[in-house]
Amino acid sequence: MTSLLIGLFLATLIVALFTMRLYRLILWYSLNSLTLALLAITIGINIDDNAMIISGFLTLVLKAFLIPYILKRVSIRFDLSRQIEPNIPVHYSVILVPALLVFTFYLSEPITNMISSNTNDVAISISALFLSLLLMMEHRNIAPKIIGFLTIENSLFLLGTTATNVMPMLIELGIFFDLLMAIVIVNLLFGHDDEEVAE
Amino acid sequence: MIVYGLTIILLIFLSPLVTSFIKMIKMYLLYKKPIPIFQGYRDFSKLLSKEMIISKETSSITRIAPYLVLSPLLLILFFLPPIAGGEYYVSFIDAFTITGLISLSTFFLMILGLDSASSFGGLGSSREAFISALVEPAMILALFSVSMMGNNLGLGQASVNLNNDFPYAHMASYLFAAISFFILLIAENGRIPVDNPETHLELTMVHEAMILDLSGFYLMLIESAGSIKFMIFASIFASLFMPFGLHLPIFLGIIVFVLKIFFIAILVSLLEVNTAKLRLFKVPNLLGIAIVFAFLSLITFYVLGA
Repeated sequence: MTSLLIGLFLATLIVALFTMRLYRLILWYSLNSLTLALLAITIGINIDDNAMIISGFLTLVLKAFLIPYILKRVSIRFDLSRQIEPNIPVHYSVILVPALLVFTFYLSEPITNMISSNTNDVAISISALFLSLLLMMEHRNIAPKIIGFLTIENSLFLLGTTATNVMPMLIELGIFFDLLMAIVIVNLLFGHDDEEVAE
Repeated sequence: MIVYGLTIILLIFLSPLVTSFIKMIKMYLLYKKPIPIFQGYRDFSKLLSKEMIISKETSSITRIAPYLVLSPLLLILFFLPPIAGGEYYVSFIDAFTITGLISLSTFFLMILGLDSASSFGGLGSSREAFISALVEPAMILALFSVSMMGNNLGLGQASVNLNNDFPYAHMASYLFAAISFFILLIAENGRIPVDNPETHLELTMVHEAMILDLSGFYLMLIESAGSIKFMIFASIFASLFMPFGLHLPIFLGIIVFVLKIFFIAILVSLLEVNTAKLRLFKVPNLLGIAIVFAFLSLITFYVLGA
C-alpha cells in the first residue's frame, strides 16, 4: 500500500512537469498532496502514531483542498496567464527526467545504506525533491514557481515520514512552513509581479 | 486446446461489440440517443454487401495490404496471455514480438494510405508514422518491465506468475508501467486525446485519412483490424495489469475476463468524453509522458527493486 501511494506521488509529480495549463497544474498539485496525506495516514495507522495521523489529516485539509482552492481563486482574481510554457522543451524533458531519476537513485544509495527501513521510499522521495526543483526551474511565470516550491515542501514531508518513521518535530515544522508559504503566496500575488505584466 | 481455440474465437467476435459499446456509452453520456450495442456487427454486414470500388490510380498494393493489415493482428491473438484456466500454447512471445507484429500491421496500413496518391492518404500516413514511432519504445519498455516483474520474459508465463503471486513489493514500478500502457492503449487505437475516430475533418484525421479510398470488403477488413487491435491492447492490459481470475473455473474465468474488458472500455469512453483532442504537435508530449513512465518503471524495478 505504501509503495503504491509513493508511486502515485511520483507519478503526479512527473505529470505536473509536463503540464502546460495553470489550473491543471493546480489539480496535479492537489492530487499530489492527497496521496501524501493518505500515505501519512497509512504509515501513522501502521506504526500506531497519533501525531502522524493528525498531521496526515492536516495535510489533507490544508494542502489537498485549501491551498489549491486559494491558489485558484487568487489566480482568477488577478487574471494570471493560464498558459504556462516550460522553458525546457518537452522533448528534452523526456530525456532529462529519466536521467535525473537514475542519477538520484544512485545518488541516494550511500544515504539509504545508513537507514535500516524503507530504503526505496527514501530514494524515491529524494528523487521527488529533485523533480520538484526541476518544476520550479523550468517555468518563468510566478504561479508555477510557487507550485514548484509547494511540491518541494511536499517531498520534504515525504522524506521526513519515510526516512524516520516518527518525527513529530519535523512534521510540526512542515505544517508551519506550509502556513508561511500560504502567506508568501498571497503576498507575491498581491504584489503582482512586474515581470509578468511586462510579458 | 479447445478452450484455447474458443477464447480466440470469442475475442474475435467480441471485438466489434466492445467498439460499439464504447460508442454507445459516449453517446449516452453526451445525451444523444445511443446506438444499439450490436451496431458493429450491422456495420460489418452492411459493408460486406456493398460494392467494392478501387481507384484506377492504385497499384496491386491496395489489393494486398488490407489482408496484411489484419493478419499480424490475428496472429497476435494466438499469442496473447491466457484468458482463463492458465493454459497457453506459445511461450516465446515477449514484448518485442508483440510490438513488432503491431508495427508490421501499422506499416501496411501506412503503405495503403500512400498507395492511392491522394493528399489525405499521405498526410494520414505521415501522422501515423509519427505517432507509432513514439509508441514503440514506450510499449517495449512497459511490457518488458511487467514481464520482468512476472519473472519471465514470455508474456504468457509472466501473466500466470503475476496471477499466482501479485507483486506487492514492486507496486510502484507496476503502477508506472500500468499508466504508461494505458496511455499507449489510447494512442495506438486512435482514441480521442490523440485522434478522433468519428470525424472526417482533415485537420484531425489520422486513421481515417488513410482509409478514405477504401470501400466494401476491404474497408470491412480494415475496420475489423481496428477493433481487433483495441481488443488486443485491452486484453493485454486486462491480463497483465488486472491479474486475477485465472484460477476460477473456465466458464467463470471467461466471464470475469469479459467484465474486465468492458471495464476498460468504460474507462476509455469516460476519458474520451472528458478530454479534448490534443493538437497534433502536442501528441509527442503525451507519448513523452508514456515513455518517461515506462522507463521509470524499468529503472525503479532494477535500481531500487520497488
